[in-house]
Amino acid sequence: MAEGWIPGDIALILVPVITLGLGLLIGYLAQRSGFCSIGGFRDLFLFKQTRLFFGYMALIAFSFIGYLIFWLIAPHIIDGFYWSANQANPFKPIPGSIPGLSVASYVILALVGGFGMGFLGVILGGCPLRQVVMASEGNRKSIFFVLGMSIGAIIYHGFILGLVQGWFIAAGLGAG
Amino acid sequence: MAHENGQERTTILKKVAKATKVPAFLGICIGITAGLIQALIGFGGDGAGGPVAYGFCVACHTRDMTNTLVNAFFGAALFAALPVLTLVGLYIGGRGSAHQQKEFRIKKSKWHVYLFYTLGGIGVMVFALFLGGCPYRAALRVGYGDLTALIGILGIIGGVAVGAVLIFKYLQNPVFRRDA
Repeated sequence: MAEGWIPGDIALILVPVITLGLGLLIGYLAQRSGFCSIGGFRDLFLFKQTRLFFGYMALIAFSFIGYLIFWLIAPHIIDGFYWSANQANPFKPIPGSIPGLSVASYVILALVGGFGMGFLGVILGGCPLRQVVMASEGNRKSIFFVLGMSIGAIIYHGFILGLVQGWFIAAGLGAG
Repeated sequence: MAHENGQERTTILKKVAKATKVPAFLGICIGITAGLIQALIGFGGDGAGGPVAYGFCVACHTRDMTNTLVNAFFGAALFAALPVLTLVGLYIGGRGSAHQQKEFRIKKSKWHVYLFYTLGGIGVMVFALFLGGCPYRAALRVGYGDLTALIGILGIIGGVAVGAVLIFKYLQNPVFRRDA
């Protein structure tokens, strides 16, 4: 149904190559421009600077335009564009998130996740992309940040996922 | 004549080089390539795999890379959507640009700063996976029409506001300074 222009089995082999190329391009441009999403909001609040903020706004606007263009060309690939509008549950969980919870719990999780990420990002001086770019500029503490992100992924999927799911179900926010 | 053409080309190249220093240029690049990548690979449904609006995400792609490696070497069964190498590309691309701009500089810190950043990385990753993506994938999902991601971005703005107030208060503390 949602197979792309490249046939499925070839695409699976090409995924590392394509993402590596995209990473090279974005890493190069991010180092040149100092792009940072959390830094954009921070500079707006603290210094009234809009340079990075407009970068993030351009990302939101042009991701919509980009998906719209390819949705017009190939609507079957951009599956469920206007995601919320054509789902029975507008806050449908995405793959990888905690399964088996109700609508309210996904709203709570998004708010808590966003708040924590924004707070920690501002304290540590950058969003994940900025930290990776700072690591590539020779900043040792950002290398430890990226290491921490890898450890966090293992901890999340091995341990926290089930724990938080249990909490939400115990609080009566399970699905159904 | 040929000399004039060469001069014209260098001014155009200079203009392009100047445009790449504007953050909005990168925002446009990520937005369009995210759509292109989904059209090529076909995320979601029965395509090569992966959720929709998955073109670029630092947190999710780091998660996928780490979990793929852990699964391969230690026989675990952690969730990984796609075998991606975005993180490696970001590091090499940023490093190439840093060398080109002569901005590559090793900055060392004390061990407790390293510990603080490692714990911060764990925290940011866990919170990002609660939201279902780093700020970049949240932006892509908003572009895709996902309301949950919009709420997540509102959460990010709230978190940054609280953190910015704290930074304003404790700007003297070296841990909170960017060049610490």
